[in-house]
Amino acid sequence: MNDTDLDTVYTRLCTTMTAVGEAEANLFLARFALLAMTRLGDREAVEALIDAAAEGIGAGCSQAP
Amino acid sequence: MTRAFRPYPFAAARHDAVLPPLRDGVDARRRAVVVVGAGPVGYCTALGLARHGVPVVLVEADEGVCFGSRAICISRRSLEIIERLGALPGFLATGLPWTGGRSYYRDAEVLRFTMPQDENQKLPPMINLAQYSIEHLLLQQAEARRGLIDIRWQTRVTAIDAREDGVRLTLATPQGGYAIDADWVVAADGGRSFVRESLGLQLKGTSYEGRYVIVDILMDSARPTERLAYFDPPCNPGSTVLVHKQPGGVWRIDYQLRDGEDPDAAIRPENVEPRVASLLAMMGETADWSPIWTGIYKANALTLERYRHGRVLLAGDAAHLLPIFGVRGANSGIDDADNLAWKLAFVVRGLASERLLDSYSEERVAAAHENLSHGTKSTEFMAPPSFAFRLMREAVLGLAVKHVGVRSLINPRQTSAIAYRGSRLNTAAEASASLDAGPAPGTVLPECPLTVVRDGSARSGHVTDLLAAGFTAFFFGDGAAVPAPLRDLQRRLADEGVPFALVPIGRRPGPMVAGVQARDASGRLFPMYGADTGTLYLVRPDGHVAARWRQADADAVHTAVHHVLQAPGGAGASDE
Repeated sequence: MNDTDLDTVYTRLCTTMTAVGEAEANLFLARFALLAMTRLGDREAVEALIDAAAEGIGAGCSQAP
Repeated sequence: MTRAFRPYPFAAARHDAVLPPLRDGVDARRRAVVVVGAGPVGYCTALGLARHGVPVVLVEADEGVCFGSRAICISRRSLEIIERLGALPGFLATGLPWTGGRSYYRDAEVLRFTMPQDENQKLPPMINLAQYSIEHLLLQQAEARRGLIDIRWQTRVTAIDAREDGVRLTLATPQGGYAIDADWVVAADGGRSFVRESLGLQLKGTSYEGRYVIVDILMDSARPTERLAYFDPPCNPGSTVLVHKQPGGVWRIDYQLRDGEDPDAAIRPENVEPRVASLLAMMGETADWSPIWTGIYKANALTLERYRHGRVLLAGDAAHLLPIFGVRGANSGIDDADNLAWKLAFVVRGLASERLLDSYSEERVAAAHENLSHGTKSTEFMAPPSFAFRLMREAVLGLAVKHVGVRSLINPRQTSAIAYRGSRLNTAAEASASLDAGPAPGTVLPECPLTVVRDGSARSGHVTDLLAAGFTAFFFGDGAAVPAPLRDLQRRLADEGVPFALVPIGRRPGPMVAGVQARDASGRLFPMYGADTGTLYLVRPDGHVAARWRQADADAVHTAVHHVLQAPGGAGASDE
C-alpha cells in the first residue's frame, strides 16, 4: 500500500464513519478492529498494535500531567 | 488596549478611468479579445495574448492592484509560466523561495516535508509573495506592452450580451458608461464573477463549514521561510494554525475558529491579538509586532462543468474555487491563463480551429478535478468536515510522533504540475509508447540543465529555456546536422504561417545553426527523455508535450502539429 492508497482508504474510513453516525462510531471502529485482527492473522503483531494504539492515551497515558 | 494597525510595506498606485473614443456610446473599435478582471489570471491571460501578438483590452473594476491577504504562494510551474511572460526577474528578486515545512501536534514535531527539489531544477518549488506584489509585477510587465495591452481601470461590467458572432459588454465608469464589442471575452473576474452569474452558470461541488481567520502582521524575524503547521498547539488548544513568512517583514497567520465561535467577533482586534501573541510566544518570537489586516476564510471546492460558453471563456476563480490548503487557487488560475492564451491567440490569428478552445475547457476542467481531489483531501485534514474526520485526524497526529507510516497523511499535498493525459491534442500514442522514459504526451517538460547555444554563443541553461513562443520540436541528435526532411518540415510550416521552432539537441557539439540549439553537457538529458539519436519531442506553446517519436518522421510531426491546430474530436457543441 503506497501513500496514495493510504490516503484513499483513510478517506473511505472517514466518510463511512460519518455515514454510520457518531452514536455508532465506537461500534463501527470495534468491528473494523476485529476484522483487521482476523485478516492480519498474526497474534504477536495484533498484540503489538493494541499496545501501540493504547500508548499515550487514556489512564495509561505516560505523558499525563 | 489593542495594538495599532500598520500599513502593508507596499503602496499601490491609483489609476483613473479613461474612456476610449466612442461612437453612439460604443467603443469605436471592435476588439478581438476583452479580458474581464485584472488579477493574476487576467494579467497572465493578457500578457500571454500579447506574447502572440494579439491586442487585448483588460477591464478592471478597481483603481489599482488588490489589497489584503490573498494568494501568497507561487509554484514552480507558475514561475515557468511567468518567465515566458517576461516577469520572472521581479518575482525571484521579491519573493521568498522555500522547499518544505514542518507540522507539529501539541508540542511534538510530527512531519517534515520537502517539495521536489534537486540539482536539475532551474526554479525553486515555491516562492512566497503577496498577491498585491504578484499583481504589481504583472502590471509592470503589462504596462511595458502598452501597445498591445489596454487597461481600463475603474471600469465595471454591468451587462453582458453573448451572441454567436460576438459579445457586447456594458461598462460603467466614474466618467460615464459605454459598451464594447468583442469577438471573445475571457472572464477572469474572480470568485464572485459577474460574468459567470450573468450567464446563469453554477459552480458545483462542496462548501466546507470550517472557518479560518487570516491575519497579516508586521514583524522582524530571521526565522527561515517554510510552511509551519501547528495542530492543537499549546498556545491555542483545539485549533490549527498555519504560518508563512512573506517578503517585507510580513507574516501570514491562518488559524481555525473553534466550533461555535462567531466569525464576526473572531476577527475583532481584541480577539485576534491574544491568539497571535500566544502563538508568537510559543514560537519563541520576541520581536515587537503589529497587525496589518484580518479576514475570514471558508474553504470551497467548486467548479463549472465547462469553461467555454460560446465566445466567453472562464478562467481562474471565475471558473473554479479551490480550497486554500495546498495553494492551488492562484496557481491553477495562472495555469488556466497559460493554457488559454496561446489557443485563443491562434484562433484569433486564424491559425487554429475554434475547437482548440474546447480543448482549453476539457484540459482545464480535468485539471480542476485533479486539483479539487487533492485540495479536498487537504481540507478534510485542515478543517475536518465531520466528527469522523476530526477523530481520525487526532489518531493520525497522536500516532505520527512514533509511527512513520501514518505521517504521509499529514502532508499538505502542495500543488504540482498537472498532465493532460486524456487530451484530444495528444497524438502518436504508439510512437510515444516506444520511449521508455521521459514526458508522455500531455505532460510538462521535466527540467534538466544543458548548454544553450543561441546564434553560436553558448551559456548554461535549462530545458525550459529552449521553448519558443509557438510550437517547439526538440530533435535529439549525435551532434550531426538536422536531417533534410526535418529542415523541409520547418520551411513547410513556415510557409503555412505556423509558428514552429526546431531545436537540435546534441550529445556533442554540433555544427552551428542560426537560432537556438542545445548540448546535453551533463549527459543527463538524453536518458531523462529516453532519447536516442533521431528522437523528437513536439512541445506545445504552453510547454506540454503534444507527441513524441523515438525516430522522427517529418510527415508525422507535420500531422501532429495540424492535429493540435484542428483539435478534432469532442462532443462538438461548446454551448448548452
